[in-house]
Amino acid sequence: MGLVFTKLFSSLFGNKEARILVLGLDNAGKTTILYRLQMGEVVSTIPTIGFNVETVQYNNIKFQVWDLGGQTSIRPYWRCYFPNTQAIIYVVDSSDTDRLVIAKEEFHAILEEEELKGAVVLIFANKQDLPGALDDAAVTESLELHKIKNRQWAIFKTSAIKGEGLFEGLDWLSNTLKSGGG
Amino acid sequence: MSRNDSKYFSTTKKGEIPELKEELNSQYKDKRKDAVKKVIAAMTVGKDVSSLFTDVVNCMQTENLELKKLVYLYLINYAKSQPDLAILAVNTFVKDSQDPNPLIRALAVRTMGCIRVDKITEYLCDPLQRCLKDDDPYVRKTAAICVAKLYDINAELVEDRGFLESLKDLISDNNPMVVANAVAALAEIQENTSRPIFEISGHTLSKLLTALNECTEWGQVFILDALSRYKAADAREAENIVERVTPRLQHANCAVVLSAVKMILLQMELITSTDVVRNLCKKMAPPLVTLLSAEPEIQYVALRNINLIVQRRPTILAHEIKVFFCKYNDPIYVKMEKLEIMIKLASDRNIDQVLLEFKEYATEVDVDFVRKAVRAIGRCAIKLERAAERCISVLLELIKIKVNYVVQEAIIVIKDIFRRYPNTYESIIATLCESLDTLDEPEAKASMIWIIGEYAERIDNADELLESFLESFPEEPAQVQLQLLTATVKLFLKKPTEGPQQMIQVVLNNATVETDNPDLRDRAYIYWRLLSTDPEAAKDVVLAEKPVITDDSNQLETSLLDELLANIATLSSVYHKPPDAFVTRVHSSAQRTDDEDFPEGSESGFPESPANPANGLSSPSTARQSAPAYATGAPVTPPSGAPVPDLLGDLMGMDNSIVPVDQAATPTGPPLPILLPASTGQGLQISAQLTRQDGQIFYSLLFENNTQVPLDGFMIQFNKNTFGLAAAGPLQVPQVQPGSSARTLLPMVMFQNMSQGPPSSLLQVAVKNSQQPVWYFNDKISLHVFFTEDGRMERSSFLETWRSLPDSNEVSKDFPAIVIGSADATLERLAASNMFFIAKRKNANQDVFYFSAKLPRGIPLLIELTTVIGNPGVKCAIKTPSPEMSPLFFEAIETLLIG
Repeated sequence: MGLVFTKLFSSLFGNKEARILVLGLDNAGKTTILYRLQMGEVVSTIPTIGFNVETVQYNNIKFQVWDLGGQTSIRPYWRCYFPNTQAIIYVVDSSDTDRLVIAKEEFHAILEEEELKGAVVLIFANKQDLPGALDDAAVTESLELHKIKNRQWAIFKTSAIKGEGLFEGLDWLSNTLKSGGG
Repeated sequence: MSRNDSKYFSTTKKGEIPELKEELNSQYKDKRKDAVKKVIAAMTVGKDVSSLFTDVVNCMQTENLELKKLVYLYLINYAKSQPDLAILAVNTFVKDSQDPNPLIRALAVRTMGCIRVDKITEYLCDPLQRCLKDDDPYVRKTAAICVAKLYDINAELVEDRGFLESLKDLISDNNPMVVANAVAALAEIQENTSRPIFEISGHTLSKLLTALNECTEWGQVFILDALSRYKAADAREAENIVERVTPRLQHANCAVVLSAVKMILLQMELITSTDVVRNLCKKMAPPLVTLLSAEPEIQYVALRNINLIVQRRPTILAHEIKVFFCKYNDPIYVKMEKLEIMIKLASDRNIDQVLLEFKEYATEVDVDFVRKAVRAIGRCAIKLERAAERCISVLLELIKIKVNYVVQEAIIVIKDIFRRYPNTYESIIATLCESLDTLDEPEAKASMIWIIGEYAERIDNADELLESFLESFPEEPAQVQLQLLTATVKLFLKKPTEGPQQMIQVVLNNATVETDNPDLRDRAYIYWRLLSTDPEAAKDVVLAEKPVITDDSNQLETSLLDELLANIATLSSVYHKPPDAFVTRVHSSAQRTDDEDFPEGSESGFPESPANPANGLSSPSTARQSAPAYATGAPVTPPSGAPVPDLLGDLMGMDNSIVPVDQAATPTGPPLPILLPASTGQGLQISAQLTRQDGQIFYSLLFENNTQVPLDGFMIQFNKNTFGLAAAGPLQVPQVQPGSSARTLLPMVMFQNMSQGPPSSLLQVAVKNSQQPVWYFNDKISLHVFFTEDGRMERSSFLETWRSLPDSNEVSKDFPAIVIGSADATLERLAASNMFFIAKRKNANQDVFYFSAKLPRGIPLLIELTTVIGNPGVKCAIKTPSPEMSPLFFEAIETLLIG
């Protein structure tokens, strides 16, 4: 199996782009993260009814990043974007403790998807700048990340507004993808 | 099976769609673009590529304008078939509507307007709002049109979001194209609603007039059309407007010219100064003439419009008759229209020239055109007294050519000329008689026979001539038969000798006994009776002096002409029909009638506004049941959709409970169901329904007499039925004249003639009258007419009764299709039918309502309705000591709830 993936990624990182999905509940900060990664600045956003797609160049890897709307009405259509995805960035609003349960359920539902079996998972415990935000350990606990099997994953404390933690996460992601893990 | 084996199921991709899907998700932009092109190509040839919706939408966010346009095109086509997935496109629209490139902003807003999916319209309002205030005029004008589109999808949304105000602001825009499009959008919105939305004020007027000079030709058309709806305050304002618009008459685009003409014509109505009017008429002639040098199709449209214009203002083209002379190579439809206008423009001054033309046309080869030309000569003769003689001599010349259809046509018009100028030109009859044998068309024959009969005393051999026709009497068409009959009678009255007497015997016999034609038979009987009772009276009747005719054929009614003139340069003015005759705006009118819910109408005491007969028809039970609520309390018949005066008529007729119905109002469709259609009843139509009013059951009946004879002596009988319903007294219906109707309320009693067996809603009725056989028909008894007024129960006794009845007495039924939209309206309606509301409780998301009702002889009905308000599906359970009644009850409750 390792051989298959090595082959896959060696062809992937010629001039191809890695397809990344940014998922998470509404108001988690997905769109802000996307544009912070792409343009390096904070843009004012409105709820994404649909999707945004941008190309982000980092560490000699081109990421094609799909930011999907997190509204309850749009979540059912996430699955339309699952095929051929190499990585998922799951964004959690660490200060929204009330909805962590829902975030957990959505997260584990995604992991169950057959089409995403090979995708690596990067979790952003976002909004660390807000008072009352849970730290990465607490978010790990809440999302029950220890249940993840057969998959590479990592969690980072981030603040999209301040730009903290994002590129560390991206470093991890590019390294993981380059090393052919998954 | 290891996890890799699943690929055998997912990767065996064959066929076009999976291939396209793969290409659409390609890493390479070029490949994606090509794939979208392939998809569009497949779409245009009619292949269903809607399953690629998300894949195509995913290509939407691109800097490539070409690709974006293709994806938009796809969206317009398929958003409707994938309404749920269409939401994925919203964010891209929002982004594109803020794109730095105005072309993309406009493209986004235009596409948004074309996507008619309810779920996403709301999301598109913010981008639209922004685009209406965009810096770029191209974006603003596109957004203006988008508002009109949105109004068609969701009018309320447009009004709530203040888009109408934004549109009105755009009228003051500094860019003329934006102004024109805002005007076009507002005009379109106005056409779809009855409320005044777009009214031009003095301020907007000057804005529009300024923009008119600067915008494109089609923008000018929009503005001119809007201006022609503007009512100027006085003559001076009208003059000012017209002065600003006159330069448009010189425009190269004929749509602009016609719209300008329309606008000027309408404003001219207000202008009092004859000088100004004369001047304007002078100015309008050249542009109209110029239109006739265009292609034949445009000529035709111009001619149809000119036809209307000359009816209102003949002076405009009075001196231009020459341009309407037919060219040999004009298509026939142009020639026909030109002839029509020539007749309208013919005057004493130009008649010689015109007659020369007509004579020329009458020798051409196209039969229809020749006929029309001959007719045109006749119509000129009728129109212009001084030219009549010249016209007749032309006609005689034409008859001498002996071309069959020319002769026939000439005879038809000469008959009209005789009627127009009696006792003037009879000398030519001899010439006409020479052609007698060649006539083979019914109309020409009938005309000739009329002439012979009318002038029998001056034609020596009139009896011989008529006799030659009589031989073939039974084979002649009805038109000829009728004329023969009349002519023979005239001949007999003028020359009561033996020959004519024999002839009249033959004709009357033929026309009364041998024929199936009722018209002919009736006319023959009238003559017969007249002749046999009083020949002198017959003379007075048959030979009475006839009124002189005028030529008003092809002349439109003033009101219709007004409407058509207001619609110049539209299809309506080409058809010569008002727009609503061929365009239906179901959309807005249907919505309005829904708003006017029935209970409001009953509160005001009026039977239903005439605006919603459809409503009345679809819900007869509602109408009936709310009748007791009328403030008048009189035994009013069910609402007839008639205006107020008829209500007064109803009230006056209430003493004997026979209500004469306004005859004109009857055919507009009273809400009684038809039980005996006229086709079954030999012309008698009976509509009837049981109603309950003031505690009494009535049988409401409507008799419509479509026979030829008056009907009287009506009687009614009811067969044995479950409830023993019978008439409480004799049926009181006056004589019903042919073509009229009578309405009555027959009081009913119960328990007279009860049938045995299980309860049935069948009511068999027999009706007879003195003229016809007995008619039988079936009606359906709706149980709720029996619900008594004292059926209200206290909560405690309701509960007690419910408990005391065994469960076996409970019956329930589901009505999956019924929706209860508003609990209050339903309760009100049921209460009007004596179904009394007891209590309500919530069960999960369902509402449960309890009602009580009472049948005669004190039989209680306990009712439970379970539903989710606003959603289809109502469960109805009933508990009663007489559960055998439940099927009838379910029928009744169904009609009540649907109503």
